[in-house]
Amino acid sequence: MARFRGRGMASVNYPIGMNLGGDPSQALIHSNPDGKFTVALSAIDLGQGMKQVTRQVAAETLGVPIEDVYVDTADSDTGPHDMGSFASRGTHRMGNAVIAAAREARGVLLEAAAEELEVNAADLVTDGRGNIHVKGAPSRSITVRATAQAAQFKQGKTIAGRGIFLIPLSSVDAETGEMNPNTAFAHACLVADVEVDDETGDVTVLGMSSAYELGRVINPRMVEQQLVGGAWMGISHALYETPEPYYPNPDHGPRDFNEYLMPGPGDIAPYSITILERPAPDGPFGGKGPGEMCANPVLPAIANAVYNAVGVRVNDLPITPEKILRGIRANGGAKPQARRGGAL
Amino acid sequence: MAKVPMQFRLNGSDRAAFADPADNLLTVLRRGLNEFGPKYGCGQGTCGTCSVLIDGELHLACLTLAAACEGASIETVSGMADGPNLHPLQNAFMEHFAAQCGFCTPGMLIAAKALLDRNPNPSREEVIDAIAGNICRCTGYEPIIQAILSAARVSPAQRRS
Amino acid sequence: MPLGLRVAQSLSEAAGILAADPRARLLSGGTLVMRDVNEGRLTEGTLLRITDPAFRQMQVSGNRIELGAGVTMAAVLANRELGFLHAPARAVGGPAIRNMATIGGNLFAETPYGDFTVALLALDAQVMVLAGYGSARAVPLEEFLAGRARGEARLVAGVQFNRPQNPADFRFVKVSRVKPKGLSVLSIAAHLPGSASRIGPARVAYGAMAPMPIRARGVERALEGKALDAAGIAAARAVALEGVSPATDAIATDWYRREVLPVHLARLLGERG
Repeated sequence: MARFRGRGMASVNYPIGMNLGGDPSQALIHSNPDGKFTVALSAIDLGQGMKQVTRQVAAETLGVPIEDVYVDTADSDTGPHDMGSFASRGTHRMGNAVIAAAREARGVLLEAAAEELEVNAADLVTDGRGNIHVKGAPSRSITVRATAQAAQFKQGKTIAGRGIFLIPLSSVDAETGEMNPNTAFAHACLVADVEVDDETGDVTVLGMSSAYELGRVINPRMVEQQLVGGAWMGISHALYETPEPYYPNPDHGPRDFNEYLMPGPGDIAPYSITILERPAPDGPFGGKGPGEMCANPVLPAIANAVYNAVGVRVNDLPITPEKILRGIRANGGAKPQARRGGAL
Repeated sequence: MAKVPMQFRLNGSDRAAFADPADNLLTVLRRGLNEFGPKYGCGQGTCGTCSVLIDGELHLACLTLAAACEGASIETVSGMADGPNLHPLQNAFMEHFAAQCGFCTPGMLIAAKALLDRNPNPSREEVIDAIAGNICRCTGYEPIIQAILSAARVSPAQRRS
Repeated sequence: MPLGLRVAQSLSEAAGILAADPRARLLSGGTLVMRDVNEGRLTEGTLLRITDPAFRQMQVSGNRIELGAGVTMAAVLANRELGFLHAPARAVGGPAIRNMATIGGNLFAETPYGDFTVALLALDAQVMVLAGYGSARAVPLEEFLAGRARGEARLVAGVQFNRPQNPADFRFVKVSRVKPKGLSVLSIAAHLPGSASRIGPARVAYGAMAPMPIRARGVERALEGKALDAAGIAAARAVALEGVSPATDAIATDWYRREVLPVHLARLLGERG
């Protein structure tokens, strides 16, 4: 009996968003009389961080502290339209819509402050801490809060903004079938190291390393958690999960989460991630987002690693111990493949 | 069918409910008492998101007969904070980004509390065993493990809730 | 009529209720019965709880160990006198399930569940059964399981077995796809007295290799009187599959279970004590 180690790699060229109708997102921003801002969206935060990203983008563009921005999410009855949280579109599309809305709101904010300070709006800057002052003369200042109150109760201005972002519609060339559906691509490369037990077919994921190119990382910790969590799901899809273990035979489908196999906390593989930033010209502060890419490259990398370890190519998911064991038997034994690079 | 009257302590308060004889505790908590901390994830005892403490012991509320909890002291995630002061585990989960969608979080926090209340200085393996019955779909578990280990390093006096 | 609830304060009262009412169902830890209730398989009749302290009693000092059917896996794990049973107890579910799941319930758990019962089988356990108003009768676990297969329903008061003279002679492994908690591909329990020198009367049991836990009689015969060395292990491995009829389920196929059982048996036997 022996355990064989193998290494596999996969890389991803990943389109951000989709082309349907230009894939638009809309955002609305308004200030309350106390100088706090509310961003209204229909983009859903399912835990991936939509609220946090849009909050940061809004605060940065408005020039106010992040604590003074509140994101109201996902009431599609009352909120402005959004296509939805899928297709890895959220950061790019909604981020841009929020920037557009925040720019308009900031414009009104500075106009209102200019009126109070009796200066030109073009001479004003925000300090990011809740104050608006004349460029180069910080003592000539007014708080955002006082500006909002003046706008509301004296000037009769709405400190608010509207934003929409969509990408150019791409039609299909009738002769060649060519189209250009995306304006931005993110990228990833992932290496997985596995160990295969040649008597049982059991696979242990020893570790993974990856590099992700995401445009501008708006919130590094959130990107990290998305990539870590997504990699777990990639392992889960590669080696464990299926609603039909004996497809096309529908028998023995899992009836609960004991039978629906997913790796537990005792199956975690060490994972190191490197982030590269190549800002997208049309991204919010250059941002693109990891999206589904957090899980995608793991599956082919593990399939390649299993092949590298024991010479068995499994072409249907999940890559189970039985499939590997049958492959090893069919090959007359484990057939480890050549490998470049350092020791595992 | 006559209802079963029951009284117990929930997060430190005396509560009463009328339950059907075969009701599980999760039903009585959520539908009877509007206690929405523990979640209904499966009803089969396989996901852990309904986890509660009964007399200090970790239990799955979906498989617990409510009527058997007469006189018990039940704790849910809703009772972990002390007014505005979050429990060290709750702070640690925030600091370590140990929640994404949050659906597993109530169960994870209660399972972690059950661990730290008994074993204030757990090893990584012991933390893994403690959350073995709680499924997470989003985080890949590592941030949760780190959060629990980090909360364990907070002094017991700060941790007492 | 929806489900009702009764509470029996003594084991004999419970036995009487169960004997008189064919639709009464004993609720022990709840991990099996409450799931049936939640999933709509149990909608009529009576749930029966037992509050008799004897149901949860543990008699662990001395050579003869007696554990009430209501003793939980967690109670086994908390008891240092039962250290040799900690691996099987830990193999049941996660920590919450272990606070709830009982020895008695595990006797009725359908394959691939029932790993604690596998350990009891390798310990030659007897099941204390109550029928109506009488005293408990000892039934060898194997016979009890055969009765379970025939659909016989009896009230289990507890289990009894002898403490292994040397706890290192008792080995247990649960093979699962995921860790630290997962359903069994298979489990193996082995009591090999004298395994440091020459094996005396061996008891080996399998889980998830048949419709219920079974004795591996071929392996027992192969090991008795032998040393636990490479030759002995090879002899045991050669007959490892005698008597097995594993199922195909969501976890593994019968083919796979047959392929890897000898592997895991040999590894379990080859471990240093």
